[in-house]
Amino acid sequence: MQRKDHLPTTAYIVMTALLGAALCLCVCIGSVNIPLADTLRVLRDVFSGTPQEEGLNASIILSVRLPRVLCVALSGAALSLAGAAMQGLLKNPLADGSTLGVSSGASLGAVISIAFGITFPSLPFAGTVVMAVLFAFLSLLLILSLAWKLDSSLSTNTIILIGVIFSMFVSSLMNIIITFSADRVQHITFWTMGSLQGSSYMNAGVLGAVLTICTSVLLSLAEELNAFAVGEENAAHIGVSVRRVKLTVLITVSVLIGVCVAIGGTISFVGLVTPHMVRMITGPNHRRLLPLSLFSGAIFLMLADLAARTLLSPRELPIGVVTSIVGAVVFIFIFYKTRKGR
Amino acid sequence: MKKAIPLILSALMLFTLCPCSLADTPAVTVRDMTGHEITLEEPASRIVALTASDCEILYALGAGDLLVGRGEYCDYPMEVFEVPSVQSGYDTNIEQILALHPQVLIMSTMAQTEEQVAQLEAAGVRVVVSDAQDIAGVYTAIEMIGTLTGKTEEAAAVIDSMKTAFAEICDDAFTKGQTIYFEVSPLEWGLWTAGKGTFMNEVAEMMGLKNCFDDVDGWAEISEEQVLERNPDYIMTITMYYGEGPTPEEEILGRAGWKNVTAVRNGAILNLQDNELSRPAPRLAEGARMLYDFVDGFVNAAAAA
Repeated sequence: MQRKDHLPTTAYIVMTALLGAALCLCVCIGSVNIPLADTLRVLRDVFSGTPQEEGLNASIILSVRLPRVLCVALSGAALSLAGAAMQGLLKNPLADGSTLGVSSGASLGAVISIAFGITFPSLPFAGTVVMAVLFAFLSLLLILSLAWKLDSSLSTNTIILIGVIFSMFVSSLMNIIITFSADRVQHITFWTMGSLQGSSYMNAGVLGAVLTICTSVLLSLAEELNAFAVGEENAAHIGVSVRRVKLTVLITVSVLIGVCVAIGGTISFVGLVTPHMVRMITGPNHRRLLPLSLFSGAIFLMLADLAARTLLSPRELPIGVVTSIVGAVVFIFIFYKTRKGR
Repeated sequence: MKKAIPLILSALMLFTLCPCSLADTPAVTVRDMTGHEITLEEPASRIVALTASDCEILYALGAGDLLVGRGEYCDYPMEVFEVPSVQSGYDTNIEQILALHPQVLIMSTMAQTEEQVAQLEAAGVRVVVSDAQDIAGVYTAIEMIGTLTGKTEEAAAVIDSMKTAFAEICDDAFTKGQTIYFEVSPLEWGLWTAGKGTFMNEVAEMMGLKNCFDDVDGWAEISEEQVLERNPDYIMTITMYYGEGPTPEEEILGRAGWKNVTAVRNGAILNLQDNELSRPAPRLAEGARMLYDFVDGFVNAAAAA
């Protein structure tokens, strides 16, 4: 009976195949047109360990495209997983990193590190990453302790309300910092626009490690999240430690979002839309929802990034523009369909 | 007595002429860069300038002391920091400007609304729009501000020296069809470049360099792989350096996958971080000279090798 609500193995195989296909597509297609045969040769050389011939194609595929596609896929998976977990926990279809205030907190940390030039001597750009994660944590701590003071059961409404207020507060703080650091206004402005350009294997490694840990934590809590869906009181009645689960999920989510924001800036709509789309296929069971959200988020964001990279070549669109347009349209379409069917 | 009459007359004439010539400072009329005609009874003596470029022009004309207010982002020359600063662009604040009692406000078209102009005009402040889009436009702006401040000769001199500087560069333009990539924002924030219709593009063309991204309009975000494919011979970055971490040049040199780019291989990366080539101001000529000398150094070294 327990096994029945797990995702069937075939589903994993299909999703892995789709993920692999999307990955190949995104590495093969880009702003610069590289023949498929050359792409395959470069990749074959890598996998067979043959020393790379120094060339434009190898540079573009191995140093630019591949790390970026990996980062995009991992960010998509992370944001989508975070969104799915938040929506389940707070029983609120609008829950997302942004509604919780964690994204804004992370942005504030990054902006502070740029404005005050906080860096680490050996790792030039690590300042932004560390500060973003730190501030994601701090904002979570602040939101939670405030919520705790007001309502010790950490009820959904309280957290969301505080999250929204906190986001507004943070955005005004950010404006104040921008006002007082006129000389760095350019840097801050460019940063807040967000970009996955310049993604490195190190970024992908960090994202991968964080995602692995957070995924296993959240998957182990799938049953508890299901219980939450029935109601916090009911969850408590069947023996779920409400506060502990809530805290674990919130902390995991804030780590996921903090790292994503630091590496790629705020990317909207992924965490909101993909879990909804997945839920329409799998139903609300978190044992299926969480792993499928992981795959779909990765595929969705890779394709969105592909569009951002290629549509206006040689120019690039901010990825958030693509996710918002695609996401909003898909969202409205699905919403309309399901509502009409009632 | 007869002799005295012409004396008295001439004395009278002098007497009447002197105050007359003083009071008779000619009214100035300028046509601003949106085509509006603005007439002042005398050259402006209290000016607020919102854009950094117009402040630079005022100082270049020796009229910096006429500034009673400046936009918050005006940062050159250093003296400008002693002038009270007001908000500019989309945050333009009419109250702040009126409090400084200027006769004239110089601003760009960027974030100017009809309502703002109407409010200012109603309060007796004449609004002059300065909006240079190319080097010829900079000359127009300098001439206009020269007329406005009664510094027409100085304006002519500044324009002449700019023209001479550019002419020297044009005369010795590079002929080898080399390419340059202008980097406005570093990789970490997403690459932005200056394409067609920018001062950097105009200056590059003038000295016989081809802007790698002259197929893109204005400032735009572009793909990293496009830079690698277009393989520029020179890179000019305007990224600011704050004294920590690698310098902008070092950061570009260290980028993964960039080592086959000609400019990176030759270390041909120039950092002009004081807006020399991004502002419609007299310093464009200096910036162009810096870029020219930089490229010239590499061309000579290649010729000697």
